[in-house]
Amino acid sequence: MNAHVAPLSPASFETGPAVVVSNLVRSYGSRVVIEKLNLRIERGEFVALLGESGCGKTTLLRALAGLDSIQGGRIVAPRRPAVVFQEHRLLPWDSLWRNVSLGLQVPDARERAAEALTEVGLGDRLDDWPRNLSGGQAQRVALARALVQQPELLLLDEPFAALDALTRIRMHELVRELVANHQPGVLLVTHDVDEAIALADRILVMRNGAIAYEHRAARSGSTPISRSELLAELGVNSHSTH
Amino acid sequence: MSNMELSGIDRSVIGADRARSSQNGGGPPTKNNLGTRGLQLLSWLAPVVLVIVWEWLAQAGWLSPQVLPAPSKVIRTAFKLATTGTLLNDLGVSLLRAAAGFVIGTAIGGGLGILVGFSRIAEALIDRSVQMIRAIPFLAALPLVIVWLGVGETQKIFLVALGVTFPIYINTVLGIRQVDPKLLELGRVQGLSSLQLIRRIILPGALPSILTGVRYALATAWLALVVAETIGAQSGIGFLAMDAREFLRTDVIVLTIVIYALIGVAADGIARFLERRLLAWHPNYGAAR
Repeated sequence: MNAHVAPLSPASFETGPAVVVSNLVRSYGSRVVIEKLNLRIERGEFVALLGESGCGKTTLLRALAGLDSIQGGRIVAPRRPAVVFQEHRLLPWDSLWRNVSLGLQVPDARERAAEALTEVGLGDRLDDWPRNLSGGQAQRVALARALVQQPELLLLDEPFAALDALTRIRMHELVRELVANHQPGVLLVTHDVDEAIALADRILVMRNGAIAYEHRAARSGSTPISRSELLAELGVNSHSTH
Repeated sequence: MSNMELSGIDRSVIGADRARSSQNGGGPPTKNNLGTRGLQLLSWLAPVVLVIVWEWLAQAGWLSPQVLPAPSKVIRTAFKLATTGTLLNDLGVSLLRAAAGFVIGTAIGGGLGILVGFSRIAEALIDRSVQMIRAIPFLAALPLVIVWLGVGETQKIFLVALGVTFPIYINTVLGIRQVDPKLLELGRVQGLSSLQLIRRIILPGALPSILTGVRYALATAWLALVVAETIGAQSGIGFLAMDAREFLRTDVIVLTIVIYALIGVAADGIARFLERRLLAWHPNYGAAR
């Protein structure tokens, strides 16, 4: 696919995958959490990863983020991925722009941070403290901090789980917009089936450390994704609960 | 095990301090602002009445000046000593001793604290010894210190430094250990180097605890100085007091006690000012923006 592009040139990643995972193994002692997992995410592609608690989905995200060592297989990514966690993890002692530019090694860090904060609707709060933010605003700053790194791969670890329903819907719109503008590959780990349907191009369900189900979202008239089908994959019988 | 004891003790110190700061206007302003100001004025009532009663008792001759001189007499003595005597010189000497001991103690306590805070190996090597020395009430070592160093300046500065080292050490270690591991993880995700991690996350995160240590150390430094100056000093506030004792000058003795108290209050004020400036981000310390 990339045969016509010179290898090692940064341009070769322009159309290439954001991450390729092959035969990934992650274990804690003798307990294997992820067993020979394969995954490929293209740039600009939005992948949602569903699964019950303890199925290994957060473990996978942490391995992709380089936070945990892996016991087998390969993860190939052009650059360090950016991560948004469930908690905002803003440094309480730094102003918002200092938080957003954390780790940014450029002379015009403040300008870049200002742009990113403007994108998430907080361009007038550059010098404010994190403690003056609501939960949704703090999570928007965390998004700005991730995007200012111009990542090829954006990892979202249940970033909206702690927000109220209305804020969560607004965040969905914002994330869709930001991803459309920046075109990173996205892996969203979530418990929320509706969130996955609303945002993702592709939905994966993970079970016992492997990807057990995959669904590509409706494009130009193909069958729309079925909520009850997804819930069934997650072990919920939607007919009995509704 | 020693670590658990250590954190138990110091959490309570921190807790008490925070509670105090928020009481003194660090917290969010309450609805009845006038009410709190009124209460603050009211809190001065008892001390003022006490001084007035003291003055009145002394004037009326109920209090022998040999036992307790009138406040007005103490103030007059202060003026006289400041203009014709050596009061300012003695004050300067005392402050210099305290400052020198404080700087040395902070450097040692802070240095060891940073080492132990960052490295488990350093902890294994250093922490037990420090905790064992800390278990000695530092004033109990005074006779030994006098044998080693005599009663000159070195002995005084040494004693202050000894008292300062431990609170700084303990709170530095505690502060570094208490930094939220989730923020450290974030730092790694954002690609910070070890040095940047220390500068941007670990030290700022440890600062509230370190400043609590500074405040505690200021109090200890002062106590150490009083004791050191009471024994064989040739100058300083303590010397003034011991000299006055020879001549039964209770007015001078009371004056020196008041000066010690005022400097203690001033030191606490400086520490609190530092907290407000450096911890402006902190909900319990910083002035609301």
